[in-house]
Amino acid sequence: MAEDMTLDSYLAAGGVLTNPTNVPPRYRAELMKLMATFVDSELAGAAGFADIINQGPGIKERIAAARIVLEKTDNADRVLTIMGEFGADTQRYATHHPWTARLDRNADIGATRSEHDMRLAVFNYPITGWADAVIMNLLMSGAVAEQLAEFSTISYQPLAEAFRTIAPIEAHHGELAVEEAAKLAEEGETAQLQASVDYWWPRVAASFGSSRTEKHEALRKLGLRRLTGPELKSRWQANATATLDQLGLAAP
Amino acid sequence: MARFHDLKVTDIHKTIRDAVVLTLEPVNGAAEHFEFTAGQYLTFRHDFDGEELRRSYSICAGKDDGVLQVGIKRVEGGAFSSWANSDLQVGDVMQAMPPMGSFHTQIDANAERQYLGFAGGSGITPVLSILRTTLAREPKSRFTLVYANKGINTIMFREELEDLKNLYMGRLNVIHILEADAQEIDLFTGLVTQDKCAQLFQHWIDIENVDTAFICGPEPMMLGIAAALREHGLDDSQIKFELFASAQPGRIRRKTGAADAATQANQTKAQITLDGSTQTITLPKDQSILEAALDNAMDAPFACKAGVCSTCRCRVLEGEVEMVANHALEDYEVEKGYVLSCQAYPVTDRVVVDYDQ
Repeated sequence: MAEDMTLDSYLAAGGVLTNPTNVPPRYRAELMKLMATFVDSELAGAAGFADIINQGPGIKERIAAARIVLEKTDNADRVLTIMGEFGADTQRYATHHPWTARLDRNADIGATRSEHDMRLAVFNYPITGWADAVIMNLLMSGAVAEQLAEFSTISYQPLAEAFRTIAPIEAHHGELAVEEAAKLAEEGETAQLQASVDYWWPRVAASFGSSRTEKHEALRKLGLRRLTGPELKSRWQANATATLDQLGLAAP
Repeated sequence: MARFHDLKVTDIHKTIRDAVVLTLEPVNGAAEHFEFTAGQYLTFRHDFDGEELRRSYSICAGKDDGVLQVGIKRVEGGAFSSWANSDLQVGDVMQAMPPMGSFHTQIDANAERQYLGFAGGSGITPVLSILRTTLAREPKSRFTLVYANKGINTIMFREELEDLKNLYMGRLNVIHILEADAQEIDLFTGLVTQDKCAQLFQHWIDIENVDTAFICGPEPMMLGIAAALREHGLDDSQIKFELFASAQPGRIRRKTGAADAATQANQTKAQITLDGSTQTITLPKDQSILEAALDNAMDAPFACKAGVCSTCRCRVLEGEVEMVANHALEDYEVEKGYVLSCQAYPVTDRVVVDYDQ
């Protein structure tokens, strides 16, 4: 057993890194991007939900929406704190950007990010009302569950731990969405719900990204990825299709 | 953003020939920033002939010891550890960022847990902090430490561990594994590998009842132990790692001969804004914007100095610079004038850059 193992072979063998000083430069860059993507998506997601709290049909629904806003912001903070350990200015980071900004509902940006932040493309689209918010949350929570299952095993231990804490909280947001969608479906809103499913499905699907083999392989060697985007997407598609089916809705 | 604070060295204790334990006292209003959790580390900075090095060392004191202590083992060729072992004096003031790291589990006074710690060499420091704290604060919990060293005379904190064993009679078990020195039991000689762990789990360690394992040591040792723990049923959330200093080379860059006279005709005036204030600096065109700012006592942000982490990002408002490497900024950022200041060298005779944008 060699005493002086290289960091690359340590990572490729499944080793974990534990603090900013033992993280090599390329790893750091990819890790920072991964964290920024999560933080920006959570902040943008929370901001989007903040705007629809008062469209909730009753007090319970408004509490649920407000809670989602609170907890997504809280989850952003957990990861931003880790970015702070890498030198990011967390105070400035949280407020440097208008997280509520959205594009036109019919803008077609595919999987490209906006120029100003790292949020997933799906968070650039506006929510049009309560039912639309419920469906967006339902589909996106499923996607987040797949991403977090993946990220909970990444090789940067403090972040893997943060994601393990975050995963059940985000899963609960998905449960709230399913409950609310069931209620709306019972009230005869199925057509509107289906229209939202048709709108959000391809946009959420695009958030898994494409599979650039070289890039994926590099990330896999660093312990920052295991499954590819398309693999995660097909898991999500299977689960989301089953959930929609139970609600009397169909995946496009 | 984490800031550096002053810590006064109040005691230096040699624990073995080439390792010191520093006792530190926060001064100049820094006390509030140094509340720590067992297992955390401090990041220090020190200037070596004009070049700043940053190094992290784990706190080795327990929460109830009433002191802030770190252990620093001399690493061959390591500038910081050599300096701390040879030159540092009681009364000196060091600078460190507040404690960081998440190498710990939640303390619960009523818990009745079995902890297992693995430490290799100076990897003992955070594990010692954790075992001191858990034994003191969880009166019903037990701790087994597997401690790997080259030989008997390189065991850091050997006496302290003996004292702790006596203090917490029956609750602390220490197994020393020595690479070079023979011991009565063959199993306790050699390296701590996956196989060695499997053997220890047969008769010496009740692995089935272990709640949480802590590992701090060199990379191959951590991999072997983690594999053995997983093989015996522990999941990732039960295994806590701390990778220590071996990945921090810490050598001082060799200085090239003092600034070439020839570059005198090759100067740039740089107007640099940071934290709202602006300085105008004259620098040679072969010096990076970041180096120029640091040389002029500006607290410019940086970390990797390799063009990767983007911590040193600034925006060029006037003039032109050239980036030698860029692994972090996207094309759209570069189009907007953002540069990594550690990689940015002036091209025009005047440049205006801003770290605040």
